Amino acid sequence: MSTEHTHHDHSPITAPENPPSYYEIMETAIRELLLEKKLIGAGEIRRQIELLDSRTPAVGAKIVARAWLDSDFRKRLLADGTSACEEMGITFYDSTQLIVVENTDTVHNLLVCTLCSCYPRPVLGLPPDWYKLKPYRSRAVKEPRALLAEFGTIIPENVEIHVSDSTAMVRYLVLPQRPRGTDNFNEEQLAALVTRDSMIGVVRANQPSNGEPQ
Amino acid sequence: MMHSQDNLTRLPNDIGGAESEHFERVDRALEPWEKRCHALADVLDYHKIINTEEKRRGTEALGSELIAELSYYERWVAAFANILFTKGILVPSELAIKMSEVEARFAAERTS
Repeated sequence: MSTEHTHHDHSPITAPENPPSYYEIMETAIRELLLEKKLIGAGEIRRQIELLDSRTPAVGAKIVARAWLDSDFRKRLLADGTSACEEMGITFYDSTQLIVVENTDTVHNLLVCTLCSCYPRPVLGLPPDWYKLKPYRSRAVKEPRALLAEFGTIIPENVEIHVSDSTAMVRYLVLPQRPRGTDNFNEEQLAALVTRDSMIGVVRANQPSNGEPQ
Repeated sequence: MMHSQDNLTRLPNDIGGAESEHFERVDRALEPWEKRCHALADVLDYHKIINTEEKRRGTEALGSELIAELSYYERWVAAFANILFTKGILVPSELAIKMSEVEARFAAERTS
């Protein structure tokens, strides 16, 4: 984060410029004590970081694009999100159950975790900060229409808004509506229209005009 | 302003529908230690040492004052320490000694 690189010639890899915080020291100390007690294995943290880094909204976008193209897959996905994703080779490393909720002409879905920050991490990666903070969590269940408007998403009064509140064990993913004008798009081109926020339900999938089909 | 009766009926994490400040679409990349903290949480879950719900309750048990003061991953790491003490996996003195060692090592690395 620091922009100062001129005052020392120390290697930035091994010598961070700012002293670590109390909590960073505590994190390191806990990790090392658990390793010494052989309660966790050497390399497990590094491998988990690699796994976390491999899960991005691109995973979810691929699921959505496939559901738009393959109606049998879509049915399986809506019936059992976890097993449909597993058939695509996506593992649920956190042992959570995935429920996929579909946007239609009459229903718009929005995801939240009012108690903390539960999020479909295996298919979207880690949540954005705003998802974890009080304004989103408190308002999503009370005034979702007004909150969505702040994202620029205007939901007509005749469309119901369904808010799904995630838990430690049950996570949700929004299947957005397929944009018009994408009849001849392949899976990759469709996936490029599917943003993280559209799978949380705060916006719609991008239109082809601003979604840069490639 | 939270009144005492609100604190009785709602735990600090239970904020669905609560009065809230203005929404802002804030986001930032995690710092390396924050990502390590997240990975540690997952690994603790794999080994059935601390599961997700225990972690959530552990942060809530810090109380509303600390919750307000600490950042997201600071709350997690404080909760881990308390839960590990409660389960008898760590004792406070050994964590304090290890933290002193780690702090000294980090300081030595910065000046070497």
